[in-house]
Amino acid sequence: MNRKNKILLLLLAFLSIVSFIYYKVSNPYKIDIETIATEKTVSANELVASFNTNEKLANTTFKGKIIEVNGIVKEITFLNNRNTVLLHGNIPSSSVLCDMQQDQLKAVKRLTVGEQVKLKGICKGFLKDAILLNCMLINKPTDE
Amino acid sequence: MNKIIVLLFLLLSFIGSSQEIEKVIARQGHVSFFSHTSVENIEATNNQVLSIIDFSKKEIAISMLMNAFVFKKSLMHEHFNESYIESDKYPKATFTGDIIDLEPLEIEKQVKLIKGKLTIHGITKEVEIRTSIENFNGKYILSGDFDATVKDFNIKIPPVLAPNIAKIIAIKFRFEYEPYEK
Repeated sequence: MNRKNKILLLLLAFLSIVSFIYYKVSNPYKIDIETIATEKTVSANELVASFNTNEKLANTTFKGKIIEVNGIVKEITFLNNRNTVLLHGNIPSSSVLCDMQQDQLKAVKRLTVGEQVKLKGICKGFLKDAILLNCMLINKPTDE
Repeated sequence: MNKIIVLLFLLLSFIGSSQEIEKVIARQGHVSFFSHTSVENIEATNNQVLSIIDFSKKEIAISMLMNAFVFKKSLMHEHFNESYIESDKYPKATFTGDIIDLEPLEIEKQVKLIKGKLTIHGITKEVEIRTSIENFNGKYILSGDFDATVKDFNIKIPPVLAPNIAKIIAIKFRFEYEPYEK
C-alpha cells in the first residue's frame, strides 16, 4: 500500500468515526413502539397486583420491557399537553398510567370511560400506579 | 328569610366539604430540569410525578421515576440513566417536606416556603423551596422552581463531558391535585 492510499484510508476511518459520533449525538429520542415486538402480555389488574404485592419482583419482570396491557379505561386526561389513559387496577387507588404517543391523540379522544382496550408501551416502573410510556392503542387506527 | 336560610345552609355545607379534604394527590405532576452551558442545552421532562399533600400535617411528599424523564436526544437519555443518575441502582428521586404556614382554605394565591429533604442518586440534602399554591374550589395547583447543584448528589461527570453539563441545574415543577381516595 502506498503512502497516498494509507492517507486515504486513515481519512476514511476518521470520517466514519466522526459521522458515527455525530449520528449518536444528534439522534433524536424517539421510540417507534409499533415496530418493536411485545415482550410481555398482561392484564391491567395483574400488572398492578404484581407491583403492589412485590415491587422488586415486578420490576424484574416488567421494567424496561415492551408490554401489552388489556384493561378498562378509568380516566382520560390531557394534562401537561400529554394524552394519558388510565386503566383500572385490581384496587381503586392503583391504576396503569399510560402516556400515549402523540400520533394517538385522535384515537385517545374517541375512547370512553369504561371501554375495554388493549395497548402497548414501555413499562418504566411503579409509584402508586404502574407507569407506561410511549403507549399506542392496539387494533385502533392512529392519526395517520 | 327562607332564601337566607338556604344560602346559610349552602355556605355551611361548602365550608364543611372544604374542611373534609385532608389529603390531595397528583399522579401526573410535571417536573423538568434544564442544564445550560455554552456547549449545549439539555432539557428533560417527567409528566408522571406522584405527589401527596396532607393538609392536617401540612406535609408534602413527592416521588418520581428517574427513567421516566424524556430527553430530546437518545444519547442524553442514555448518559443520564446509565452514567449520571444510575437509575437501575437509584430508580426514584423523592422529596418530603413541610409547607410552612400553609392555609388550606385560602382562596387567594399563596406563596409559601417548603422545607424538606430531597433525595437524588441515593444522597439526601436539606432544601428550601419557594412555591406558589393556588386553590380552585378544592383543586390545588402547586408550582415553582429551584436550583440543584450536581456535585451535592455525588453525580460523577467524566472530564470529557464536563463542559456539556451545567454545575447548577434549574428544576421546575407543577402539580395539579385532586382529592385523595384510598
